[in-house]
Amino acid sequence: MKLIIKSFIAATLLLGSGSGCKKILDEEPRSIYTPDFFKTQKGILGGITSQYAHLRFIYGQPYYYNTLETGTDEYTWASSADQNFKDMDLSGVGNITAASSRSDALWGTAFSNINTASGIIENAVAVPAVTAAQVAEARFFRAFDYFLLVQTFGGVPLDLGAGELKFNTSASRTSIRNTVPEVYTKAIFPDLIQAVTDLPATPRATGTATKTVARLYLAKAYLTYAWWLQNPNNIPTYPASPRTDPAGKDAQYYFQQAYDIATQAIDNPGSFGLENTFYDLHVGGNDRNKEMLLYADHTQENAFYNGAPIISGSDAESGNGRNGAVWMVTWNYTVIRSAPNANGTGAGVSSVQREAAQSLGRPYTRMAPPIGPFLTTFADKTLDSRYDGTFAAVHRGNWPKGGAGNAVLYNANDLPVVPGDPIISFLEDESQTANIVYPSGANFPGKTSNNVGAGVLPGRADFVVNPRGISRIVYPNLWKMGVYRTDNGNGLGQPNATSTRPFKIAKFSELYFIAAEAAVKGATGVRSAVDLMNVIRARAGKWKFSNKNNAAFVADNSAAMIAATPAIIDINYILAERSREYFGEGHRWFDLVRTQKWNELAGTYQIGNGTYGSHTPQTVTRTIEPKHYIRPIPQGQLDGMQATPEEKAAYQNPGYQ
Amino acid sequence: MKQTANLKTLGKMSRVSKKPALLYILLLLQSLLFSQIIFAQNITVKGQVTKEGGLPVQSASVLVKETKAGTTTDENGNFQISMAPNGTLLISALDLVAQEIKVAGRTTINTLLVATSNSLSEVIVVGYGTQRKEAITGSVASIGGDKLRDVPSPNITQALQGRLAGVDISQTSTRPGATMQIRIRGTRSLSADNNPLIVLDGIPFIGSLADINPNDIKSVDVLKDASATAIYGSRGANGVILVTTDKGGRNRKPRISYNSYHGVQNIFAKYPVMDGPQFVAYRKAASSTPRAQQYLNGQDEADSINTDWQDLLYRTGFVTDHNISLSGGTETGNYNFGGGYHLNQGIIPTQLYKRYSFRASIDQQVGKYIRVGFTTNNNYNQSEGNQVGIYGALSNTPISSPYNADGTAKRYIRMAADNSFIFTKDVVETLKDNGQWLNDSRGYATYNAVYGEVQAPFLKGLKYRVNLWLDYIQSNCGAYTGSGVGDALNPNTISSASVDNRQTYHWTVENILSYDKTFGGKHTVNAVALYSTEQNKYNRSNMSATDIPSDALQYYNLGQAVGQLTIDPNNQDYQLWGLMSGMGRVMYSYDSRYMISGTLRSDASSRLAPGNKWHTYPAVSVGWNISKESFMEAIPVINNLKLRAGYGQTSNQAVAVYSTLGRLDTRPYNFGPTNYGVGFYVNQLPNANLGWEYSKTLNVGLDFALLKNRLSGTVEYYDTKTEDILLGLSLPPTSGVSSITSNVGTTQNKGFELSLNGTIINNLNGWTWEMGVNFYTNKNKLTSLASGQTKDEGNWWFVGHNINAIYDYKKIGLWNTGKDSTDGYLNVLEPGGNVGMIKVEYTGGFDANGKPLRAIGTADRQIIDVDPDWQGGFNTRVAYKGFDLGVVGMYRKGGVLFSTIHGSNGYLNLLSGRRNNINVDYWTPDNTDAKYPRPGGILSGDNPKYGSTLSYFDGSFMKIRTITLGYDFNHSLMKNSGVKLRMYVTAQNPFVFFSPFHSESGLDPETNSFGNENASVNLSQNLRRILTVGYNTPSTRNYIVGVNLTF
Repeated sequence: MKLIIKSFIAATLLLGSGSGCKKILDEEPRSIYTPDFFKTQKGILGGITSQYAHLRFIYGQPYYYNTLETGTDEYTWASSADQNFKDMDLSGVGNITAASSRSDALWGTAFSNINTASGIIENAVAVPAVTAAQVAEARFFRAFDYFLLVQTFGGVPLDLGAGELKFNTSASRTSIRNTVPEVYTKAIFPDLIQAVTDLPATPRATGTATKTVARLYLAKAYLTYAWWLQNPNNIPTYPASPRTDPAGKDAQYYFQQAYDIATQAIDNPGSFGLENTFYDLHVGGNDRNKEMLLYADHTQENAFYNGAPIISGSDAESGNGRNGAVWMVTWNYTVIRSAPNANGTGAGVSSVQREAAQSLGRPYTRMAPPIGPFLTTFADKTLDSRYDGTFAAVHRGNWPKGGAGNAVLYNANDLPVVPGDPIISFLEDESQTANIVYPSGANFPGKTSNNVGAGVLPGRADFVVNPRGISRIVYPNLWKMGVYRTDNGNGLGQPNATSTRPFKIAKFSELYFIAAEAAVKGATGVRSAVDLMNVIRARAGKWKFSNKNNAAFVADNSAAMIAATPAIIDINYILAERSREYFGEGHRWFDLVRTQKWNELAGTYQIGNGTYGSHTPQTVTRTIEPKHYIRPIPQGQLDGMQATPEEKAAYQNPGYQ
Repeated sequence: MKQTANLKTLGKMSRVSKKPALLYILLLLQSLLFSQIIFAQNITVKGQVTKEGGLPVQSASVLVKETKAGTTTDENGNFQISMAPNGTLLISALDLVAQEIKVAGRTTINTLLVATSNSLSEVIVVGYGTQRKEAITGSVASIGGDKLRDVPSPNITQALQGRLAGVDISQTSTRPGATMQIRIRGTRSLSADNNPLIVLDGIPFIGSLADINPNDIKSVDVLKDASATAIYGSRGANGVILVTTDKGGRNRKPRISYNSYHGVQNIFAKYPVMDGPQFVAYRKAASSTPRAQQYLNGQDEADSINTDWQDLLYRTGFVTDHNISLSGGTETGNYNFGGGYHLNQGIIPTQLYKRYSFRASIDQQVGKYIRVGFTTNNNYNQSEGNQVGIYGALSNTPISSPYNADGTAKRYIRMAADNSFIFTKDVVETLKDNGQWLNDSRGYATYNAVYGEVQAPFLKGLKYRVNLWLDYIQSNCGAYTGSGVGDALNPNTISSASVDNRQTYHWTVENILSYDKTFGGKHTVNAVALYSTEQNKYNRSNMSATDIPSDALQYYNLGQAVGQLTIDPNNQDYQLWGLMSGMGRVMYSYDSRYMISGTLRSDASSRLAPGNKWHTYPAVSVGWNISKESFMEAIPVINNLKLRAGYGQTSNQAVAVYSTLGRLDTRPYNFGPTNYGVGFYVNQLPNANLGWEYSKTLNVGLDFALLKNRLSGTVEYYDTKTEDILLGLSLPPTSGVSSITSNVGTTQNKGFELSLNGTIINNLNGWTWEMGVNFYTNKNKLTSLASGQTKDEGNWWFVGHNINAIYDYKKIGLWNTGKDSTDGYLNVLEPGGNVGMIKVEYTGGFDANGKPLRAIGTADRQIIDVDPDWQGGFNTRVAYKGFDLGVVGMYRKGGVLFSTIHGSNGYLNLLSGRRNNINVDYWTPDNTDAKYPRPGGILSGDNPKYGSTLSYFDGSFMKIRTITLGYDFNHSLMKNSGVKLRMYVTAQNPFVFFSPFHSESGLDPETNSFGNENASVNLSQNLRRILTVGYNTPSTRNYIVGVNLTF
């Protein structure tokens, strides 16, 4: 009994007190990192990896992608669009507000990454093992993010709570915005100049930052800043600031700087250069090619490092850095039916099934290209390979991959088609439009084929849509960004997983465009604007493969392309050329805003209504006001700030209160 | 400091204990050898204790008042005790009025105890002690184990639902083995756990109520206000549920009890999706809408087919439960051993929940001053088949057939726009039998307590007790999906498997010093001092792999996978936390008339920042037994009247471990296809100021009993204000970090509670009719958020509204007609809209002509409070001879029921013609006063515009939970045998009344999911708190036959 008492006391002492008051109340995490780890060499290198990983939360995020394309001359909303897309169109079907703006993907990602970059730069001072070249990667990304922010929102804060460009570790709930020239001259230019000096000519690892990509962004920042100083259409800036450079230079100086840095990069390409053909640049499997300076990488090999499931039967379009952008611009081609019976009757068979292929993929029907790009931008579809390398204009039968056993199906004009044959084609021009017969709805009376309101041409087994006959529900897919996988076998693959291809951000080719644009704006040097554009156009004339015919097609139309270049080119020509080169890649809104051509080039557009059988173009007018040239500060920022309503109103960009 | 104090106390104890050690041994020997001799001059008194109807009262306590010697009655109510001939017997039993009987030399004393509806003499467990109900000053609601077992269920959460005022129990899942969410007097914390503390046999219990076999339970007491919970400190911030298990009785012959029930489970209601003809009409209506996206029949669809996919999936469930226990006692100790088996095979094929439990408790008096005991609770549980969902069965169109023309089964069907893998009962069972689709979870938990208690020989009433609790919980989950299973697109999708293992190690030591004394006959004092320490360690490991070469391997060796192996750092976890506490409580009562209780507690938590780890808080409560005043003798109709008031603080370490330290988040990345890295960035800042969240509660209550105790009840009012709420505060993105855990915000819960129990007919010609009803309200609101912020749209938090408020448009009808649309400016408010679409309230301005100034937009979203206006439960029991009929029910008035299946989250009310749809009353040109919009009308995403507003229903309902008819065989056949036998039949979930949701859909109006579950597009993780009706396993109606046997 005494023993029992003693044991209890002993147990009490051991467990209650012996292990110590302090120990029980102390914390030591063993499955997570605390911010202290960020001061070690491995922590800093992890911080640098995070600089790359953060790109995925901006590039490939489908709603942010929409802000860069919907509302431009490249895209409008499509039949299944929700308000995220209609708001961006500025065509009376929605309204961009602080709460609904999807530029929040950028705002919400960039500052955290800027802070991490500042932390790397500061912490690396005490860790000699971290090299200047590695720190320069952080500098590059800090400037990269600030450049995106200043183009999108106007002036943004340089002080996150610990001083300008300092690593913040305080719970700062206030914010003061700097002006546009401060962001350029204090943050973007110095970081990029340092990065150009310190970064290696060839990447440290696949896809990492180099001198060349730093030069590209420096040149582009100079170019954009020069336009801002010049302000040809008197677009307001915010926070209010005179259009003068703190260093006292003028716009012309910066146009020249842009030209000089871009041509320096062209002359010192390192391991980079142009791909031989536009097709090579965009064909799946060749994504990390020598033309690519920067991309948000993904991989089909490993779901964890890909940041998204790779074999999921049903995956979300966004979240956790997924690349779901291309789903938005993919129309629902799976509705197409071909008939099992020779007279065009019988239960319609889905002849083009959802497949993880570059011209197909998962349909969301959220964004549609208007008619303009097909008739104007890509007017030349024979010499220039870029139309064929941008759009999937022909959908071919793939029904056996989905398990349908029919050897032959009956398609347009009840003509037989076999797997691999065109089922529906988007025609290249209007020459045959008069002969096309369209059904009044989805189908011709008594027929089960078609189902999407496409037309027939005498003698053709494929259904057709003329360029002016595209609608918000039936339109060509964006081939260049389509999914590419190597695990389809003989089946449809994993079309519902987000794209495992890298999202392309910056290409070597853009150096030519930057220099050419600067030259149009008066910069001078060895190469003229026409010379520079001709490099791009010459490459565009080279064919290797025809997507339209799904067959090899070798041709070199370089000379004809060069011959077709006007003797004198202007900004509109540069912008058209940019659209041909970068259609649907998320450049367009920035290009139109930089050059202040948004309203002029995208103020109206034409497209058919969003129902099957609509082939009459409707002309839509957009109301693009000067205030729209910068986006609203996202509501989350304002909600999170400790400030009076007046201070919050003053923080917001004008016109969005 | 606390530590030193404790050591001193202990030191003193051990010094003191040295001297009387010899004495103890002598006493022990004496009691063992000489007890017969010493008390030889006593007489032996025998007797039987009975209650109304002549039924024997077993386990009644029979005490000799003078010597405290005692025994209990056997199963026939008989007792035998040795005592002085001039002594007094105290006879008491649960729910019966105690009697004091002067023996006066008699050797046979038969006693009839009468029932006390108000059970004043009932002993209530109040935490670190018990109290007679009449002396209680805090807010405590109690229910006996036998009443709980009126609702046969695998765990007592189901049985507790609707039984206690202020205890809101909501269903969060309908899967076998699921437990329910318990909220005592509302939700206080914003992001922290709002679950109450469970105390099992006096010691805080870290397991769940599912770990406790309902058959072992003697009583459940719920501490609701701060003055009652203060003794448990931070652990009891959300209320305390004290579970007391049956421990055998002193001097009781060994007894075996066997309880068992078996039942079948049928679907309460199928989800109300369309049948073939309804669907054909609906798709036609959708396609005839101008500008609608056309959904023409898919490859496998034909208007003539009518398939009921739910019939093809569901099976009849069954439940079986066996429980056996052996208990008994000697003069100085008692024991109870028990084992149980529960199996519930769900109505979804392969879903099952199985539990084996084993429990033992021994309590032994050693000598005069020492008592030691040991309790162990163990269970092994298993659940399977939780991966089987029903979305396919609900969304597959009824006009598609699972069979090919030749009668063979299809692997998948092709509908208008979607392919769907076919999961019928046969398919699911075959996949399981072939080991191709598995989701198994196995848990083992052992909870063990050892205690010792020493009475001070030098001071009567002073006791020292030490409790040591050692627990281990583990769960092992494995999942395997064979190649192509579930993939309607790709039959060759590679297989995948995952394993998830979790362990929890926990210990608690409590040192309790207590003192009980009655001075001068009228002053009663009870004082308790406690010092306790606990620590909890949790570890989770998770891994997954793809491309397992052989189905036979299942998830047992992921190393054999030829695909990728993943150990996601976000799925691994380690948490170690500790809590140290000191507590003192004094309860004083004068003449059972005036009572006061004061508590002071200090807690220190490892989770909080250094410097803020300790928090001390007081609680005090007073009581006045008005009925004991002399002036009340004039009002004989009132048998009891007691006024209680209490005020106290409780606090909550409501924050995840390591929150004060900040954290780096990780971002995996690939540099090229196969070169991988993991990025780090600062996501959460450290907060060195993080302190306790605490609540202040005022509680006023009145207990009463009238009409010879035939009507009794309690009325209570409380007001709880929670301050310094711990919350992950979102920082503006420009700070460069996303959040910091901080003390921000306040909430308030105030409410009114009423419970009434009455005996309407008391043994009139053999008839007895009892009735109990409870009613309560809780007004919950957020009273402030971080620094002046009045709304947090992302989290749906708004000052002045329920924590669970919804933020959405307000549907006020449909745009019914063309005229309505013209007059109401449809074209202005809804550019691109159509007649027949949902009309939501516009909150903007109008021009001089009454034309709205703008289109409907996010500014028109409104805050919708969801909490019910009032709710409660009722039970009634009619007994005649051996028969008894009992009904238990619950009700709820007002509030919002969130049905994700009707709204846009579920993807079951798309109203576009694409997939099968909930069979709703939709608008057509010929049906313009419909509730639901026109199929094929304007969309937002894939759903009708404002489709989310279709989720909200009036949350009112009344539900009969169980009807039980029982027969006690001791009343007739086995009247005088030592065997007790009762049999019963029960119908569970038989009826629902007054529910607009049920009237429309036929479904059970009880929630079945958390907000982030069982929808196609779930609410976000931070809206998980909102309970919904989603497409979980359908609710069931059960028919059960049970037997209780004791011998």
